[in-house]
Amino acid sequence: MAKKIKNAIPVVIIAIVLAAAFARFDFLPSIGDPDAPAHTRTSDYYIEHAVKDTNSPNYVTAVIVDYRAFDTMLETTVMFLAGLGVVILLASRPDPKARIIKPRKFTENREHLGAPAYQSINKDVMIKIIEPLILIYAVYVLFHGEVSLGGGFQAGALIGMVYIIDTMVSPGTISLIRLPKERSVALAGAGTFIYTLTGILTLVGGGVFLEYGKLPFSMSFEEKHSTGILMVEVGVTIGVMATIITILNAIHERARFDDDK
Amino acid sequence: MSNIPVLIVLLPLSAALLCMALSLIHWRLGRDVVIASVAASLVLSVIQLKDVIDHGTVSYVFGKYKIPYGIEFRIDAISAVIIVMILIIGFITLLFSMSFEVRDGGKVKNSGAYTMLALLIVGMVGMTSTGDMFNLYVFLEITSLSGYCLIALGGSRGIVAAFRYMLVGTIAATFYLLGVGILYSQTGTLNMEDMHYMLSRGVSTEAQAVALVFIIAAFGVKMALFPFNGWQPSAYAHANAGSRPLIAGVMGKIPAYAMFRYIFCIYGSEFRFMDEFLLIVGIFSCCGIIYGSVRAMAQTDLRKMLAYSSVAQIGYITLGFATGSPVGIVGGFLHMLAHAFMKSGLFFGTGAIRQKYGSMKMEDLGYIYKKMPLTSGLMVVAALSMVGIPPLGGFFSKWYIGMGAAGSHHLVYLFVLVISSLLNAVYFFKLFEKMFMARDKELPDRIPSEVAQEVPWNMVLAIVVCFLAIILIGVFNVPIVNVLMPTVMEVGS
Repeated sequence: MAKKIKNAIPVVIIAIVLAAAFARFDFLPSIGDPDAPAHTRTSDYYIEHAVKDTNSPNYVTAVIVDYRAFDTMLETTVMFLAGLGVVILLASRPDPKARIIKPRKFTENREHLGAPAYQSINKDVMIKIIEPLILIYAVYVLFHGEVSLGGGFQAGALIGMVYIIDTMVSPGTISLIRLPKERSVALAGAGTFIYTLTGILTLVGGGVFLEYGKLPFSMSFEEKHSTGILMVEVGVTIGVMATIITILNAIHERARFDDDK
Repeated sequence: MSNIPVLIVLLPLSAALLCMALSLIHWRLGRDVVIASVAASLVLSVIQLKDVIDHGTVSYVFGKYKIPYGIEFRIDAISAVIIVMILIIGFITLLFSMSFEVRDGGKVKNSGAYTMLALLIVGMVGMTSTGDMFNLYVFLEITSLSGYCLIALGGSRGIVAAFRYMLVGTIAATFYLLGVGILYSQTGTLNMEDMHYMLSRGVSTEAQAVALVFIIAAFGVKMALFPFNGWQPSAYAHANAGSRPLIAGVMGKIPAYAMFRYIFCIYGSEFRFMDEFLLIVGIFSCCGIIYGSVRAMAQTDLRKMLAYSSVAQIGYITLGFATGSPVGIVGGFLHMLAHAFMKSGLFFGTGAIRQKYGSMKMEDLGYIYKKMPLTSGLMVVAALSMVGIPPLGGFFSKWYIGMGAAGSHHLVYLFVLVISSLLNAVYFFKLFEKMFMARDKELPDRIPSEVAQEVPWNMVLAIVVCFLAIILIGVFNVPIVNVLMPTVMEVGS
């Protein structure tokens, strides 16, 4: 009983603090208030100058991959880092000497771990109809991302999904592309590096980092911005796709931990 | 505008991204590229430090947009010094971890660990140099994620410790984001300089206070300030052996610097509840100093003892900030530098002992000064510096913190400083007793003598660099303070 009370104390304290905060503080601006500083200090500038500065008719794209492109580069790095972390921790066994418990006879079932079998999915429909459609949609989302909704992250997720479907419907047999974990994680890094490379090219062209107007290609200013945004989106697409495949590989090859049954 | 600030981040980042692909060609290529890139960054950071000392603060805006609209890197004297520190320790840690490669874990695990280390360095350098609040969050994410993975690479106990750290650390990151969100809703800007301008023009004090509570809690968790330190001892103790010096030595200092920026650069003395917040930070620091020292006395595992001592040492840094006087703040930064080298040095020493004799227990250290003279020399110097013996770095940093505390009439801080130095002496003299007096345990030597007399060259390099740094920070404390002081006078109250 005493333990229950002890466990409840933090919850009660948090509830009281949150209730007090909600009751007392009303400093947040109301939704859509045109005079709030949150909606005037920088937003106005973005709305007025985005099209002229970045040659992108979509404000969101302009902010994400042009004004704040450096943040997006690091976010893509975070994606790569997450995939690498999953594959390191799940798909490689810890050192035997660093273990708390000595491994018991886990090995007899291990061969079956890497081969998931979903025999009920119709191969013909999935491979012939659904996968090409998803791929076309992914390419559309990638190239259309600059002008409307979409972009690299979504396209990468769609292509990764095609790979997942492909491994699910044809287990064990040879499919078109197989990316083992070493290759897929290397591809994820390389994809993210395309983004960094865009920045390095702008440095080579004599600008500051990610100043697309200084890309060393013979194009007009607007074309350079479009090319820069497209390169960045392609890099993000490859990075995200390979990260998803990496995580799938890691789950397939998952090492058994000591507390597994 | 020179590109040095971005190149310092960019070189290790590119190397880390390409490391996995390069290691497909040859398993050593990725590692070598990462080490070379960090060495190049180190050279550039020294050039940048000289530039900042000569010409003042450097500002680098990405994409050449106007300041509140683009992302800015802003490097003043303090951050330039801290970047040099991160890169020195990062470089020697990368070399040091060559001795801890696990070849049986496969290629991915091996070169993945180097990628993680490089990204940890990138994250910390970025957090130090950025002048944008959301950019700081992204770098914080990179730092934390690579930190989680490196801790989890330390075997089964490491995985448990990393999971605990991840739960707490994710909540901390959310707190930081909430704090930034509240500030953004009041000002509409994310640039730190611009935020300071907007806040000084009059923003609801309640909003500022709530945001600062969130931000101090977030950075408190990340640097293991006293009430938020639950994750820290096991995480530091069970992290991957090769990267432990970097994690334990530097990872906690960067959030402390970020907290300094928030309290003094962004909020500044115009904030109405400044003294109250500084008092709260001071109370946390005092409790942390006493608690960490007392817990460290009770440990038998060397790594755990050093980890608990870190709780206390982080307390000194924040205590320096809490005095609110320029001298105290400079003392905090000097302690940040000195402690980074001391704690990394102690972990380099324990790593070398573990590599040679395979033990981390204090009882097994008997007679070690005869068997490993270099390593024990470093550990003695680092431990004496922790206690605060005059010509070493730790003494001068504590001296400045004490002067700051006396100057702002916080005599309790002074008292805590003296008491905790005595407590430090208790547990470090216990270490000395084991090293010099205890009987030889006759442990088998695991490094064959044809490879190296004591330890391999990469470990010797790490040990010598730390040894020299501790002594040099002590001897040349006045030039370092002279570099830091103008910036602190500018922002401090």
